[in-house]
Amino acid sequence: MIKLDNVTLSFGDQQLFERLSVEVPAGGRLLISGESGSGKTTLLRMLLGFVLPDRGMVYVDGEQLQVDNVWRLRRKMAYVSQEMQIGKGRVESFIKEIFRFKNNRRIEYRRDKVIALLEDFQLGSGTLDKDLEDLSGGELQRVAIIVTLLLNRQIYLLDEVTSALDQQLKEMIVNYFTNLDDKTLIISSHDKIWHDQGFPTIHLGNNGSST
Amino acid sequence: MEAAPDISILRLLAAFGLLIVPLALSFFLRLGFVRQLFISAGRMTGQLFLMGILLVYLFRWDNPWLNVAWVIVMMFFACFSAMVNSKLSFRHFFLPVFLAYFVGTGLILLFFNKVIVNYENIFTARLVVVVGGMLLGNSLNSTIIGISHYYEAIRKENKRYLYLLSLGANQQEALLPFFREALRAAMRPFIANMATMGIVSLPGMMTGQMLGGADPETAIKYQIAIVLAIFTALTISVALSIFFTSNRAFDDYGILKGSLFRR
Repeated sequence: MIKLDNVTLSFGDQQLFERLSVEVPAGGRLLISGESGSGKTTLLRMLLGFVLPDRGMVYVDGEQLQVDNVWRLRRKMAYVSQEMQIGKGRVESFIKEIFRFKNNRRIEYRRDKVIALLEDFQLGSGTLDKDLEDLSGGELQRVAIIVTLLLNRQIYLLDEVTSALDQQLKEMIVNYFTNLDDKTLIISSHDKIWHDQGFPTIHLGNNGSST
Repeated sequence: MEAAPDISILRLLAAFGLLIVPLALSFFLRLGFVRQLFISAGRMTGQLFLMGILLVYLFRWDNPWLNVAWVIVMMFFACFSAMVNSKLSFRHFFLPVFLAYFVGTGLILLFFNKVIVNYENIFTARLVVVVGGMLLGNSLNSTIIGISHYYEAIRKENKRYLYLLSLGANQQEALLPFFREALRAAMRPFIANMATMGIVSLPGMMTGQMLGGADPETAIKYQIAIVLAIFTALTISVALSIFFTSNRAFDDYGILKGSLFRR
């Protein structure tokens, strides 16, 4: 379960959220809509503990997000955003490095699984030998999604992931995620295609927010 | 070989005469440098004359404590000027960067004086003050490059850092690529420079020693040793200055503190 309880946050004199409360059960879906600058990304970052609320509480997987559990709770979530900055070097070296992190070592790196996912997402297996800096924004984003799928996270935070893609890819990604029944999905998007899914939606306005 | 002849004040003025060319260019093309050029040249002259007077006494007294104290003062200035030329806040960075210089340059200075030169008194002024100054002066730039590169990359590529954290990296793991890239940026120019030394440039220390009457063979050996020492000193200083500051640069949630940068 993900929950925001009476969350208030402002940056300088701009109030982003005022007493915002929202709850998503495990395996549930939530769509966040709103104009750019309304705080969609900030809301997702708050769930990851990258931004802290001025007042109110954030719960992830039923636990109140705090200094002593934030590092553990982050490992239940996968965050993919619109403009990914992944780094430099070969794609496969990057993926392998992720699997060498202490927290991920128990997950086995399987090349065949990576290639299958690359193909699912319409990237050839040749992508593994490419340089991260040579990938387009859309390709980078799909690589980022694949990495999170390999790590098998429970909660997906998808920040405008489809906005830079063409229609066919949009549909493919939306289908892929909506078929993951046991995962919790929190999606921020302008895209009509997500809005057509009938997910519970909150709308963030420029002055506070409403559900 | 005999030592170079003294330059009379009158002839030194001829050297200032050279400035007419850049001054004229600056004036007619309105480069906006005239005032700054006067100030900079004036400062250089004044500082070097003061340094000359100071060196006369440091050499005359040749007191180990005084020599070491002077190197520490130089480190202080090196650190100060490193900070001024970066966007980093003095409060967070001055002490750790100073410590990094102290350990990095200090260790290499001792190594140079004891193991390489093996002079009887390794705290003598010509070794401590002169070699210390060379080490500091030449590692300064790279240290600024390294530490600024590190923090500015984490700030600019914040999404990359946060993405790595969200992929399960602990803080060290998420910072490692930034550390790597900062060290590369700091070391790369020096490595490139080493490859052309002697062909494109005759380095300052060697020139100085030879003008001072030293045998070119000795001068070259000193030069080789000092280049290697400078390179190692700067590598240690950069690595340590990042290492010493990194702990306090992030909050408990792993987020870079905004107060690290000067506005």
